[in-house]
Amino acid sequence: MGYVFNFPDIGEGLEEGIIAEWYVKIGSEVETGDPLVKMETDKVVTDIPSPRTGIVTKTYGKVGEVIEVGSPLVEINIAGEEEVKQEEVLEEEGAGVVGVIEVAGKDDVMPVSDEVVTSTKKVEESGRRKVLATPVARALAKDLEVDITLIAGTGPGGRVMKDDIRNFQSNMNGKQTDSNSKALSIEVSKDLDELGEVEVVQMSQVRKTIARNMIHSKQNAAHMSLFDEAEVSELVALRDKIKGKYQEQGVKISYLHFLLKAIALTLKKFPSLNSVMNMDEGTITLKKYYNLGLAVDAPQGLVVPVLKNVDQLSIVQISQQSNDIARRAREGKLSMNDLKGGTFSVTNFGSIGGRFAVPVINYPQAAILGAGKIYKKPVVKNNVVLPGVVMPLSISVDHRIVDGGEVTRFMNDIIEYLENPYLLLVE
Amino acid sequence: MRLNLTPYDLPDRKLMNREEDDFLIWQPSKDKIVLGQSNQLEQSVNFEEVYTDHIPVYKRPSGGHTVLLTSKTIVISVVVMEDELSKPHAYFDIFNDVVICALKKLGVNGLAKKGISDITIGDRKILGSSIYRSRNKLLYHAVLNVAESPVKIARYILHPTKEPDYRNGRDHEAFVTSLMEQGYQIEIDKIIDQITKELEKQKAG
Repeated sequence: MGYVFNFPDIGEGLEEGIIAEWYVKIGSEVETGDPLVKMETDKVVTDIPSPRTGIVTKTYGKVGEVIEVGSPLVEINIAGEEEVKQEEVLEEEGAGVVGVIEVAGKDDVMPVSDEVVTSTKKVEESGRRKVLATPVARALAKDLEVDITLIAGTGPGGRVMKDDIRNFQSNMNGKQTDSNSKALSIEVSKDLDELGEVEVVQMSQVRKTIARNMIHSKQNAAHMSLFDEAEVSELVALRDKIKGKYQEQGVKISYLHFLLKAIALTLKKFPSLNSVMNMDEGTITLKKYYNLGLAVDAPQGLVVPVLKNVDQLSIVQISQQSNDIARRAREGKLSMNDLKGGTFSVTNFGSIGGRFAVPVINYPQAAILGAGKIYKKPVVKNNVVLPGVVMPLSISVDHRIVDGGEVTRFMNDIIEYLENPYLLLVE
Repeated sequence: MRLNLTPYDLPDRKLMNREEDDFLIWQPSKDKIVLGQSNQLEQSVNFEEVYTDHIPVYKRPSGGHTVLLTSKTIVISVVVMEDELSKPHAYFDIFNDVVICALKKLGVNGLAKKGISDITIGDRKILGSSIYRSRNKLLYHAVLNVAESPVKIARYILHPTKEPDYRNGRDHEAFVTSLMEQGYQIEIDKIIDQITKELEKQKAG
């Protein structure tokens, strides 16, 4: 089967790149990961690896030509699969060489670009959507001054066609006529600045990175969340008993540190929650090491430094290392190694005050667990209502990898550890 | 009048063949011009001045625009080897933060990251950086202007065909600055030492 590989967003948020060098030609045999082409964007030159194994049947563009992100780069005949289905390829009259074949795929809608020079305020405020469209349709949209990102395409894979542009324009003309009588209210709502004082601030690099990562996660993982509570009276008593002793040694032990240990031990029993899926290769990599990313609310924004091999650390060691890494995160002193190698993430929003949340997975990890604020509430023990202390827990998993029963059992085991914290001291 | 590209044999050439994380910080001995990977000579340099002054012209493997290297600039080159490289902006952030951290320790204020990968004082650029990335190797290049005059840059380098938003069409004299022009008279060796220390910290993790 023919696989059309589109030029991916390599992470700068730019919309196009220049072909610097082709490594393959028609007939070249390529394996997954082999470099196909060297592309240059404003600040980066990068080899684009092949996503599939097969034989190159078509290349798009020559050295020096500009290719838009999301436009086709190469077509690969996947080994052992059928020939390219002709109906997947639709050309319109006068279509150019570059960008004619645009087969719908997972990259149909590209992440919002934040480095792009946008020409109108409207686009900046609403965000840009990358659309599939034939070159002819793009040219027509430009001629008619129609914003192609607002149009739902009716072509294969949602591709915008010439007729879509014309239909959209005629609809808009009708609406403009109808709306003339309401012009006043529309004009007022068009410019938010007239409603009151606003301040437009530049996004920091950190904020841009966070934004990209969040969108990437939401677009690529199938988020599913579960909420529960652990009754942690015994954990509170245990911590009260030992915290003074270690505080004298400069070690501040918190509930989070017990939770980290509980997560690391439980992950050993539930390997899918400590894994990464590769859809293209059809594999799931189960990681046999337990590195927990700690989401830290640093002054410059969210950062997620990684605590390594947590399953092998004592509660005191976890306390020492996590306090150190969180301090360095807040002071902006993390190294590259501090941010690498996480296998599962933890967010402790309860330290600020929330109880439940729907955490966003630190993609491509499979799960993230959030700890809420510990609080007192009545609990039933042995059919008697007693004052209890509970820790709210929220977990989000990638439902492509983790089933509902699995995450529920995972959560049950975490709760078991938190309600019987002495187990954490002996395991 | 004809300008030829000189084969890329600058000190960081050997760094590109390394198979482990490494870095090199160096001070060019003579003036030279380095084009970005897809820069065209005729669109990038003032032919007459470059030819008259016998300035050699190179082309680097990474992206970005044409730069002038002189003995009043510092070049920072870093190689990262990883099975799964992150996207380039993550490395721009990390290594530009290293430079900012080093300069702050030397007393430089008002530093900021702007554009895709620049470091500025206020809204004037003192460092530009670019990246070359292959399957599992990444090369970060940056040029820090310690004391070079923007007038000299304007003599040899044309206005780039693309520019970051914050440049707003400014010419080299209005857009580029140096530490010295901003009032920081710091010896180049001290800057190299401080950036080396910060990169060593990164390497050690």
